[in-house]
Amino acid sequence: MTAVVQGQARRPLSLRKLGSYILLVVVSIVVAFPLLLALAYSFMSESEIATFPPPVLPMHPSFDNYGKVVGTIPIVRYLLNSLIVSTAVVIGQLITASLAAYAFSFLVFRGRQLLFFVFLSTLMIPWEATIIPNYMTVRSLGWLDTYQGLAVPFLATAFGTFLLRQAFLQIPRELWDAARIDGSTTFRFLREVVIPLARPALGTVAIYGFLSTYNQYFWPLLITNETLMRTTQVGIAQLRFEESTRWGLVMAGVIMVAVPTLALLVLGQRQLIRGLTAGAVKG
Amino acid sequence: MRRLAALAIAVAMIAAACGGSAPGGTGTGTGTGDQSALAPGKDVKPAAKITWWHAMGGVNGEALNKIVNQFNASQSAIKVETVFQGGYDDLLSKLNTALASNAAPALVQVYDIGQRYMYDSGQVVPMQAFIDRDKFSTADFEPAVINYYKYQDKLQSMPWNASSSIFYYNKDAFGEVGLDPVKPPVTFTEITEAAKKLTKKDANGQTVRYGFGPSIYGWFFEQLLATSGSLYADNGNGRDDRATKVVYNNAAGKAILDWWKAGIDGGYFYNPGIDNAGATTAFQSGKTAMYLESSAALRGNINTAKFQVGTGLFARPDSRPKDGGNIIGGASLYIMKSRPVEEQQAAWEFVKYAMTPAVQAQWQSDTGYYAIVKAAYSEAPAKEWATKYPQFQTPVDQIRNSPQNRMTNGAVLGVFAQARARTQKMIESVLLGQATSQQALDAAAAEVNDAIDKYNKANK
Repeated sequence: MTAVVQGQARRPLSLRKLGSYILLVVVSIVVAFPLLLALAYSFMSESEIATFPPPVLPMHPSFDNYGKVVGTIPIVRYLLNSLIVSTAVVIGQLITASLAAYAFSFLVFRGRQLLFFVFLSTLMIPWEATIIPNYMTVRSLGWLDTYQGLAVPFLATAFGTFLLRQAFLQIPRELWDAARIDGSTTFRFLREVVIPLARPALGTVAIYGFLSTYNQYFWPLLITNETLMRTTQVGIAQLRFEESTRWGLVMAGVIMVAVPTLALLVLGQRQLIRGLTAGAVKG
Repeated sequence: MRRLAALAIAVAMIAAACGGSAPGGTGTGTGTGDQSALAPGKDVKPAAKITWWHAMGGVNGEALNKIVNQFNASQSAIKVETVFQGGYDDLLSKLNTALASNAAPALVQVYDIGQRYMYDSGQVVPMQAFIDRDKFSTADFEPAVINYYKYQDKLQSMPWNASSSIFYYNKDAFGEVGLDPVKPPVTFTEITEAAKKLTKKDANGQTVRYGFGPSIYGWFFEQLLATSGSLYADNGNGRDDRATKVVYNNAAGKAILDWWKAGIDGGYFYNPGIDNAGATTAFQSGKTAMYLESSAALRGNINTAKFQVGTGLFARPDSRPKDGGNIIGGASLYIMKSRPVEEQQAAWEFVKYAMTPAVQAQWQSDTGYYAIVKAAYSEAPAKEWATKYPQFQTPVDQIRNSPQNRMTNGAVLGVFAQARARTQKMIESVLLGQATSQQALDAAAAEVNDAIDKYNKANK
């Protein structure tokens, strides 16, 4: 096995490079602006937000809004619920998607191609169309207001399977042959060769699955009624009013909810970028 | 949000197409007779526990739970549990899904424009049935509010949170430019004239304050039609019989859009876009000196703005049509037919409690929605509220002074959420100069009529 060597020799900063760094800084400020503004608003009072021209930095920063969020909704419990459900979905998706992708890439069986396309075609079914059947199933299982009701419908992922299959196809076929000659079982090959080699893609599937579950709104709203079983996004909605909105309060809630996802992105960023581009160019 | 609204409609259509109506059709008698037969018998024992789905977040949600806790403490037979179900659109989507599998609660709060949909679902025990059975008196209720929730003169649901759209202005700015701070403009021309004076530019010619800046909100268009004394939909705004088409592409509709567009072109009206919160922020920050918004925003405006907030009658055409007036907004409470009669009975007990003057007064002072029962205004919390926020008298007077007719009762449509979204696009296209008023009106009407057709075919 050959390890991929990363990193280049350091060279003095050329003018051209400096220019591109400045450009990158400007672009990243533009991209991060909504988040930074949310952060600034979360420290401002309502009357401070409602001045013209709109303020960008809080003049009298205070944690009042955060206190009010904690006082209004059980945010800690919501965060915990979201983390439990998202983690369960990630684990489930990694298991199902890697097994399915393994079958679609390494195992040879009749109708494999057809089955794969049927699998992929489920990507075309809008999620909204499956809400009612899913709801009825979950309800008939008595899973309303439970973690399994929140997590089970999302344990399999066609997108994740597709992504992993592409990654698995990058693994040289010779490894498979060698492993077979050495007497490896198919499962052992998956566990000891394929999984370690496809780590970036697995990381991508995990992060993608986590974020999309964490950001769900309608499904958790639909199948939970008990306050203690609700998730963060439903909690944020509770901070809104029908007739007027207190931006400071909402933004404080948004920041509190965004922290776990941001942490995940920072930690998994490298994996994510490597994973998403894997297979984009043949090489 | 808009995506969810669209989803709500889609789900509504599916549910309707799947034959959501229960035996007995829509459950409403067509005659003028007594409806008490539709209610459970008087001697049915109320259920020990019922669930109430609501859409009140934040402070309003706390106020609602306060009332429920008081009710639960006041007696031991019935316990009401509240469940927050997101915004109005989310709640309706969830209700549709739940109805399909018999998981709906006994009591639900549905917004004003969901009225026709609820009626067509056939899943509601009309409030009139309980009222007739118990000879419950609604004589002291605000007529404008109660009329809004009647179809063919039968009350379908009990009004709950009621608001009205009013005119807000910056009294300090009025004083500064020599306008009378106690006499706000009312007619289109008066508003335009005031807006011209209030508009302020800096040395570079940049506008630092616009005279008038209402959000592009379909509700305001409906209100402006009503103050113009014009119908929104046919068949008496869909109240005498199911509406078959919208009729706002008329002279009144054109006059509204022409006035709005002229103000934008002249540079003295501000366009915040389809953004109610944005319009409120612009007003509170002094970027605009006058705007339109719900009476429920009153307290927020007074507490946040650093100037004296004035309130006035909602805008109307220069001719001030005598049969023009304002429509109420808000939401009402429905008792669901799918629950056992004992639960319906318990829900009715709670509704009666919620309509007592003391509860109504408390609800008003906690939320800024106005009390529906007139006697509430002599209760202590309401009096304190009136002293603290004298501006609050404006929406109350406005609603009491509105003549009661089909125009001011407001329209009832099965596809109202969609229709409202379409009128917003219509207004925007005119303000941005993409279409003339008449073109935009006709295009919107054609599209909404199409949706009405489809809805009516699915809900015969």
